[in-house]
Formats: sequence, structure tokens, C-alpha cells
Amino acid sequence: MGTAAHVEEWTGENVSLAEVEEALTMLRMESGRETEGPDLRTSVMTHIAWVPPEWHEAAWNTLEGMAERHPSRAILLIPGGAPGEDDLAARVQAAAFPLGGERRHVAAEIVELRLGARRARAPQSIVMPLLISGLPVFCRWRGRPPFGQRELEEIAGLADRLVVDSREWPQPAGDYPLLAGLFDELAVSDIAWRRTLPWRVGLARDWPEVGSCRKLAVRGPLADAHLLAGWLRARLEHEVELTVEPADEVEAVAVDGRPLPEPVSEALDPSDLLSGELETFGRDRVYEAAVRAAG
Amino acid sequence: MAQTPEPCALVIFGASGDLARRKIFPALYALAVRRLLPERFAVLGAARSEWTDEDFRRQMEAAVREFGRDEFRQDAWDRLAESTHYVALDFEHHMAGDQIARSLGEIDEERGTQGNRVYYLAVPPDAMPTLVELIGERRTAAGWTRLIVEKPFGRDQASARELNELIQHRFTEDEVFRIDHYLGKETVQNMAALRFANGIFEPIWNRQFIDHVQITVAESIGIEGRAGYYERAGAIRDIFQNHMLQLVALTAMEPPTDFTADSVRNEKVKVLKAIHTPGPKHVVRGQYGRGYIEGIEVPGYREEAGVDPASTTETYVAAKLFVDNWRWADTPFYVRTGKRLPRRETTIAIQFKRAPHPPFAEAAAEELRPNVLIVHVQPDEGVSLAIAAKVPGLGMKLRTVHMDFVYGGAFQVEMPEAYERLILDAMRGDATLFTRADEVDEQWAIVDAIVASWKRDRPAFPNYAAGTWGPPSADELLHRDGRSWRHH
Repeated sequence: MGTAAHVEEWTGENVSLAEVEEALTMLRMESGRETEGPDLRTSVMTHIAWVPPEWHEAAWNTLEGMAERHPSRAILLIPGGAPGEDDLAARVQAAAFPLGGERRHVAAEIVELRLGARRARAPQSIVMPLLISGLPVFCRWRGRPPFGQRELEEIAGLADRLVVDSREWPQPAGDYPLLAGLFDELAVSDIAWRRTLPWRVGLARDWPEVGSCRKLAVRGPLADAHLLAGWLRARLEHEVELTVEPADEVEAVAVDGRPLPEPVSEALDPSDLLSGELETFGRDRVYEAAVRAAG
Repeated sequence: MAQTPEPCALVIFGASGDLARRKIFPALYALAVRRLLPERFAVLGAARSEWTDEDFRRQMEAAVREFGRDEFRQDAWDRLAESTHYVALDFEHHMAGDQIARSLGEIDEERGTQGNRVYYLAVPPDAMPTLVELIGERRTAAGWTRLIVEKPFGRDQASARELNELIQHRFTEDEVFRIDHYLGKETVQNMAALRFANGIFEPIWNRQFIDHVQITVAESIGIEGRAGYYERAGAIRDIFQNHMLQLVALTAMEPPTDFTADSVRNEKVKVLKAIHTPGPKHVVRGQYGRGYIEGIEVPGYREEAGVDPASTTETYVAAKLFVDNWRWADTPFYVRTGKRLPRRETTIAIQFKRAPHPPFAEAAAEELRPNVLIVHVQPDEGVSLAIAAKVPGLGMKLRTVHMDFVYGGAFQVEMPEAYERLILDAMRGDATLFTRADEVDEQWAIVDAIVASWKRDRPAFPNYAAGTWGPPSADELLHRDGRSWRHH
């Protein structure tokens, strides 16, 4: 994790978005003064995060680990994070991260908006004024998205890519068909899917034996297990029965009773995982097929 | 031209109005703080309100404290207040001209303003003819006279011509300063610097390299209690006729030989003359219904106080314009303006043609967006360029990167408000950033043709929800050409 050369912060209760925009301009100027730049800002996206209050700390930890990797504006929406129904409170940060060995900095902006309950039902109108023109919009949805609800539809309507982590859902298998309903609307990716990569590589190496797999046993999180089974079903085009022994991480996978060797893989922290998803564009057809077959 | 204006008196007609409070006096105060006003200077406010000098000063002090961009400094205010006077008058009264002349005579004696006058007509259009006559009749040989005329300048070509003729009967063109405050914005002026002070842009600033241009003047606010004005004006007279067509002209004009008023305005007029009048299929109008702004439900236009519940006034206009000349033939300028759109934004986006053959098999077509140069007029004044860049690592993965030049960050200074620049320019006699009579005439010719075509049918309003980017037919305007609006 990099250390910011300089961080400027502004906070306000019961604010308007015009005040938030003014704060961003003011902080950028102050940050530039302190660090002899950046007078040229480079951005690659707007990153929205829908963060119910119970995910607040985790979301900030993740963001702090990736700001310098993705020069962007991050907008954290905290639904129900303000007491009054129509309240809007803001915390705005502008940070400058030094580039190694050079007198230049990368600018990152974080806008946290705590939304009263009524405001949280129309998030598109809150986010739109703050998007960076012309750049892709990624949305990280913390927890289970409220499928079929207005707030999800509004965010899906403006984002180019929705990033979820189905490990955060209590019953992922039941929700995968609902997630698949979004695929024609926007690109979707799942951090749980990315975590299964070393095991998918291991399964692929098991070819041709894995081709006749009928039973898959996984000791690990429900989401990872269902995605692995869905992937096999979609690739092999036949039914694969899944048994799951819950665990925090995928510890063991067996094909028709035959254990696979545990893959050697680099441990990735939440920032690395999200960062990987933010570098992915377009639809991932293999993932989509796995989700459709997982539910 | 001298930086500091010559001694003069500024007479503000409509001095008790909103414009004087929100814009004119805060601008004068900002100029006073920076000592840009002449040493021998006075302000004379004139309006119907029965105020004394002291009442007026108190009102304007409150306005400066509320709307000024600088921290309030008593010494700077005291200097300005000392030279500020007020005269209560009914403009229609036969003695009004004498009252003004008497007050100005006293000011000349007290302040040494030498008979030099800047008259600022911050009044509704129907009051302008009376004031032009009143001022014109009492012109004296002593000193110079300049007339600042606020928009709207007429409500169609005929009324604008009538007003122009009336003005030109009493004043020469170089004495008239028709305000379009957009021209006073730094970023709008920077458009000229960007194009004509950089050798790299002008060679590609044409139909060969540019696919199309999108100009957006979006407001998230509604009509803010101005139903009386807006019901008569609509988006086409409020924004399209002036700000929008000025932005088109600045984007499309040929390089002027120098940056003097007539050289710049000659080139802008050529563009306005070359704009092909858009047919009905190339214009979309809209009116907002209920919707959400900043997460709060807001009423539709017809539900706003003072608005006819069956109003057919447009709060949105989009058009596809063509500038018929060698530089721009067949290059569409898509323009749109509206109220209650999702964000406040004024941008000029120059979208270049795609690279003819990107030789990167690994890069999916959806990852490659065309280059776009965006001039941000407000907010976040600056310029950004979207380019494709390789993502570090193995393979040839591409993504769009935005390089943003942000004014505030680059120069570490706060930018002056448009009115500061324009008032100062009028005092200095520099009309470069003001509209000339023939520009206004050409603007109205385009607008009149559009409005005439609207009279043939009754629109099905409302046709867009507050907080959205306008009616679906505006999207279709571009989709028909295989393009789409920049939505964020």
C-alpha cells in the first residue's frame, strides 16, 4: 500500500452536491499547492461503491490500498448512513501519491456520501453530477445487491461494470439466476470468481479425466463452490453434482472422489482483488455461463 | 488598450434587482479588492424602489457578503461604498432623465469622473426602449458614453432589429456592449487560446479528423421562481439563442487575424451565417415532468409556481446543426440544453474519428473509445483529452485514459467571475467579448426558423423526467447517425 504525499479533507453535514463539487475543486488546488502538483490530473474511471454501513470500514481499507493504482474518483454511497430521511452528509478527500523517483504525483479523490433513507432510493441522481466525463464507471456493490429494487436498477443503468463478491451473500446459489438477469444490461464480475482462478487452473490441468466429472466436492465458501460447479457444468455441458463442506477459504476440491492437488497461488488482499476487476473490460462470457449453470 | 479604465461613472438601471445583487455588485467589489477600478469612479444605482444612498449601500453590502467570491474586507467595501449612490425613479416619468442627469452632474463634480458614463441596462426587455431614449436624449459632448445591454436582446429577429435600430439611432456600434456572460468565462476565452496558440490543434480542427462535436449546456436547477420570464422565453430563447450559438461559433470559427473586437466578431458572424437552418427532424424539444435531483423528488415544470398547468414552453432543446463551409461540411454539431438535467455542466466535446486500423488483436473493440477533447466551461474549468493507452503488463491491453488540465490546479489562482471581466472590458471600451448587432441578428434568424416549425404541432409534454438527460427522441437524434450523447 502506498503512502499519500498529501491528503486534504473536507466534511459537511446536510450538504448539496454543488458544495461537494466546490470542495473537490478547492481540495485539488490545495493538494496541488502542497505537492507542487498535480496540475495535470490523469484519471481512468469513476469508481462507485455501494456500501451499507456494516461494510464501511472494509470499503475504506480496500480503497486506501488501491488509490495509487487507479487514478480515479471514488464515490462511496452509504445508504441509511445519515439520520434524517432526506439528509446528505459528505466527506471528501483529495490525495496525491508520489510516483517513484519523480517529482510527479498521481491524484486520487474519494467522496463519501452518507444518504438518508429516502435519498438512497434514487442514487442515480446523486451520482450523476459527480461522474468524471467520458470515462468508464465501475460499481462495487458491497453485500447482496437488492435484485429487482430501484436502487440497483438505477446504478446498473449508469455503470459500465458491476463488481460483486458473492461470498458476501448468504445464499449465493439462489441469487445467481437473479444476477444473470443483469448480464444483458451491463458487464458483471465477481470477486469470488476471481478467487477460484487457481482451482480452475488445477481442474483444467486435470484434463482429460475431469471431462467425465459427475461429482464435485468442495471444502470452502458456498459461492466459490457453486461457481466452480457451474463452470464445470457449462464447460462440460453435462450435470455435475455438488457437495459443499463450508469453510472460510477453498481448502480442498475433489473430482469424483479424487482430491486435486492444492494449487500454489499468491495470496491477494481485498485491494488486489478489486484492483484486478477494475482492469477488466467487456463481458466475461465464461463467467456468465458459469453463473447461469451455478444457480 | 490600457489595463485600468479611465475615470467614469457606472449607472446601473435595475439596481434593486436580482442581477445587481448576485452578479454586478459582487463583481464590482472583486474589482475593488484588486484595485482594478479607476481611482476616480462612482456607481449610481437607479430603480423604482424608494431607497436612499444608505439603503442601497446596505443592500449591496449584504449582497457582496452573500455572493462575493472574496472574503469580505471592510476597507475594500468602504472604498466602493463611498463612491456608491442611488436615485429612486420611475423610468417612464418625464422627469426621470433630468433626475439622472442631475445626479451624474453632482458625481462628476465630487468624484472627477469627467462626464464618462457606462450605462448598464439590467432591466426587462420592455423597459429597454424607454431607457435607450432617455439616455440618448441627454448625451452631452463631455466624456464618452457606453451602453451595456443585458440579455435577452429581443424575443425574435424583428424585436431585436427594432431594438438595434433604436440603439443605433442614438449610439454607435462601438459604444454598445451586448452581454452574453458566457463570453466572459475564462474557459470560453481559453477556447481561442487552445485553438490558435497551439500549433497541434488547428491542422486537425476540421471535417477530415473530427467526427462530430457535442455541446452541452445542462442545468440541474429548475426555473427558480422565474416562471414569468421562463414561460415567455423557454430554453430556446434563454440559452440556445445566445450561449449555445456563441459556443458553436467559437468552436467553428476561422482563426481571426488578431484578437480585436471586430476581427473576432467578423469570424463568428461568418459561422452563424453558415449554419444551415435545422429542419424539424433535426430539432427536439422537451419539458420536464416529476423526477429526482440529488435524491430528492422535484415537481414537473407544469407544477412549478406561476407556470400554466398546460404550458407548452420547452425546458429542453437539442439540435443537429451543420456549418456549411469547407472546414465543417457534413460534420454535425449536436447541441443540447435543458433544465432539470442530471448535472450542471457546460462542455464542448470534440470527438475525433477513430483510428483507421488499430493493429491490436487482443484489444476488444469495446475497449477502444475514440479520442475526445473536452473543454469544460463549468464546473471544473479546464480541458481534458481522452486517449487510449496500454495497460502495464504482458499482452496488449488498452484502456482509455483521461488527461485533465484543470485551470485552478495549473495556475493556482481563483478565476475571475465572468461579470468582472465584462464590466471591466466595457469600462475600457474593449468589445471583443460582447455580441455585435449582426451576430444577434443571425442568432435570431436561426431561432425564428426553429420556433416557426414548432407552431405546426402541439407537443406531448412532459416528455422527460427531471434528473434524466432529456426526451428519448433526443437520443434518437444521434442514434440515427450511429452515435450517442456523452451521458457523463
